Amino acid sequence: MPEEVVIPNLGITVENGKIIEWSKNEGDTVEKGETLFVVEADKVTTEVESPASGVLARILVETDTEVPVFTVVALIAVDGEQIPDDYAPSKPPPAAKESAEPAEEKAAPEPEAKPAMAPGSQEVSEGLAVPAARKLANDHGLDLKTIAGTGPDGVIQLKDVQAALEAPAGAKASTLARRVAEKEGISLEGVEGTGVRGRIMRSDLKPTAQEAVSSGLDKVIPMDSMRKAIAKRMSDSAFTAPHIFFYSDILMDPLLSFRKGILPQFEETFGLRPSVNDFLIKAVALTILEHPIFNAVLNGDEIYIKPRVNVCLAVALPNGLIVPALDGTDRAGLVDIVEQRTDLVQRARDGKLTRDEMERGTFTVSSLAQFDITFFTSILNPPQSGILSVGKTRDELYLDDGEVKSRKTASFGLAVDHRVIDGAQAAAFLQSLKAKLENPNFTFLHL
Amino acid sequence: MYDLAIIGGGPGGYVAGIRGAQNNLKVLLIEKDNVGGTCLNRGCIPTKSLIYDSRLFHSAKTSTILNGADSLAVDTSKLLERKRKVVKTLVGGLGAILKSNKIEVVQGKGSLQAPGKVSVEKADGSKADYEAKNVILANGSKPSVPPFIKVDGKFVQTTDEALDTQEVPENVIIIGGGVIGIEMATIYSNLGAQVTIVELLDDVLTTEDPDVRKTMRNMLKQRKVDVHLKAKAKEITVEKDEVKVVFEGADGKVQERMTQRVLVATGRAPVLDGVDAEKLGLAMEGPFVKVNGQLQTNLPGVFAIGDLVGGMMLAHKASAEAEIVVDCILGHKKSLKPELVPRCIWGLTEIGAVGLNEDEAKASGRKIKIGKFSYSSSGAAQAMGEVEGFAKVIGDAEIGEILGVHIMGAHATDLVSEAVTAMKMEGAVEDLYEAIKPHPTVSETLLEAALDWNKLAVHSPKKA
Repeated sequence: MPEEVVIPNLGITVENGKIIEWSKNEGDTVEKGETLFVVEADKVTTEVESPASGVLARILVETDTEVPVFTVVALIAVDGEQIPDDYAPSKPPPAAKESAEPAEEKAAPEPEAKPAMAPGSQEVSEGLAVPAARKLANDHGLDLKTIAGTGPDGVIQLKDVQAALEAPAGAKASTLARRVAEKEGISLEGVEGTGVRGRIMRSDLKPTAQEAVSSGLDKVIPMDSMRKAIAKRMSDSAFTAPHIFFYSDILMDPLLSFRKGILPQFEETFGLRPSVNDFLIKAVALTILEHPIFNAVLNGDEIYIKPRVNVCLAVALPNGLIVPALDGTDRAGLVDIVEQRTDLVQRARDGKLTRDEMERGTFTVSSLAQFDITFFTSILNPPQSGILSVGKTRDELYLDDGEVKSRKTASFGLAVDHRVIDGAQAAAFLQSLKAKLENPNFTFLHL
Repeated sequence: MYDLAIIGGGPGGYVAGIRGAQNNLKVLLIEKDNVGGTCLNRGCIPTKSLIYDSRLFHSAKTSTILNGADSLAVDTSKLLERKRKVVKTLVGGLGAILKSNKIEVVQGKGSLQAPGKVSVEKADGSKADYEAKNVILANGSKPSVPPFIKVDGKFVQTTDEALDTQEVPENVIIIGGGVIGIEMATIYSNLGAQVTIVELLDDVLTTEDPDVRKTMRNMLKQRKVDVHLKAKAKEITVEKDEVKVVFEGADGKVQERMTQRVLVATGRAPVLDGVDAEKLGLAMEGPFVKVNGQLQTNLPGVFAIGDLVGGMMLAHKASAEAEIVVDCILGHKKSLKPELVPRCIWGLTEIGAVGLNEDEAKASGRKIKIGKFSYSSSGAAQAMGEVEGFAKVIGDAEIGEILGVHIMGAHATDLVSEAVTAMKMEGAVEDLYEAIKPHPTVSETLLEAALDWNKLAVHSPKKA
């Protein structure tokens, strides 16, 4: 059996990877751990190591071809074996999206193609692992879920499984400590063992298990890939883009009563219920059309104003935040926006967004209106140049011809990248948005 | 000035001394008698010598394959001689070990004058005072005798005398059906005496698992040992060459028995000679010295270990406590987990146990599962002709924590060690069977009991 080389998992939201360079040619000898190819995804390049030593017998995916992660992209012949011409990899590359065709046309997809697993293997498919690691884990009945991967984004590599096999079960933690940790959802990582030779005993978990877990204090949380992505993107944005902030109070009564007015008929006609956010997204898109600089990304020494206005909506998840973009919000009608928004939010919560939906955004709306938050600022969602923060709609007293009246207002915060947008432009944008929201009858005339 | 002065050279005191010396402490060990304490001189070791010898006799006598078994007789002088030799060898060996560790052993009665100050009254009447940064009270215990019983050492004995008496009585009444009573009953019974046990509580070996107790009761019955439970001894009087024992049975009826010998096995009490608690201001807890988890008393630099502090009055508990004290003196805080102190009893068959018994496990409120395997299903036990007994594993149903292991049968006292190690290492019940056991050995009974815990026992019929 040749060793199959796959595109590793490149991140939680990454579906595809593009091989930008093969470091070896067909027929070259490779050592396990040597860089085999470079793959790019999400603007990040990753060197992928050879899972085995042998001869790079076949390259199945040429450079500049984008294929789904876990696609078999090459075969390594181990021990001088001959690979039959009709060898079918366990996950063959699909038809190439862009340029070159796969080298091996015969690697046609088989309907019954299964992941590379030994017969009788069961649950080992959970952890994301290179095939060689998967096979070794399988051979030893090792649960991949128990192994921490050191590959890109936590992909389990062969050496990780080897290391796990070298450390006999229970060498680092007692059986009971492991079981209690599992039961209580405590990570053993970083727990100092007080047992013989540093073994983690049950009592070592106690400060975390019994006292701290209930209060949430004094524990170590390993970052998952989403947290890592948020951390990286937010710090990149905060430390690269000089943010400037603008605030404006917008009268919400007109929009609220407008929405209320059209809601029954809208629902009856389209079977959809537009939220305040849907109107907001549309109003923002229309405002961007008037102020195209807000659709810009900084590209080296150029400011690139993107061709479509794709407004993003920040969606809070239990373990993070994800910001999918609606498509063509400048041209989309309200029905389209409601549909897109409903679908994207649902799939964001299910973790089923595509990479395109994650990347196509040009401007972000972040709303905390359901909380008792008056106003707040946001960090730009790179490479975008503007982000709008929406506070709660509150009752406000005002004097109308000497008479005290109540009205509904919301505070809007706008953060912009000062490298691209200046204060006056930002102020104008916010004024324009305010005018649109306060006069919904005209704003949504075309919808 | 010593780093450590220890009063009492038993398994608590001498282990503390050796461990201290190994850690470069200057150690003074005070012993009024022979080093080795009750364990070596008047307890564990002598009884085991007698148990094994008497067992040999009984096995031979009841053998179905030896010719002339009926006419076998035991030479009790040789029996005692061997016991004394064993004790002498071990005491001598221990003395050499203490010496090699450069521990100063002082013969005499030690007493604590004040924290850091001890004095020794030697056999010749001279007195010596010593100062030490730390003092360990390891005075041990002595047989505890109810006030209405007068021990004369000949007709009415405690183990102190019984283990050194050559004459085996035709009949003996043992007051107390605890560990000592059962072990002594075994020796007497093996040697052919008719044994009666008078126990105040409702069972023999009350600290042990219900299955263990039940099996022991059955074995005693088979041996024709007359066991009276919930029976209260009221009067013991020596009349000529016999003893009259009056006791009230469970039914309330008062019975009167004449016997050649009475053994009082009603427990042990701490020895507090040389420790004037009141004068010292030493805090007590009932008859025992009050200590914290590191065996510290309320007096600075004064520790107490072993039988003096109560709990399980076992040699290995005292030794374990000794190590904790030395660790404490060296600045490492450790403590003893009582549930990890094994218990061992040499009765008509051996009992090795650790942790909770079934009643205690149930009372703990945890969800438990029990695995059990009979010796009669063990190839090794059958081959040995020792089919009485079982291995029993009590584990937490959820995480598999080993809560208690109870083994009864041949080599049970040795077998339980494995469970103690597994528990100490926080193994689960599955760990007991995931290690391969040599065949054919009775160690397989524990493996099968652990398997049975998961309904996986191989050598027993499938359970419903």
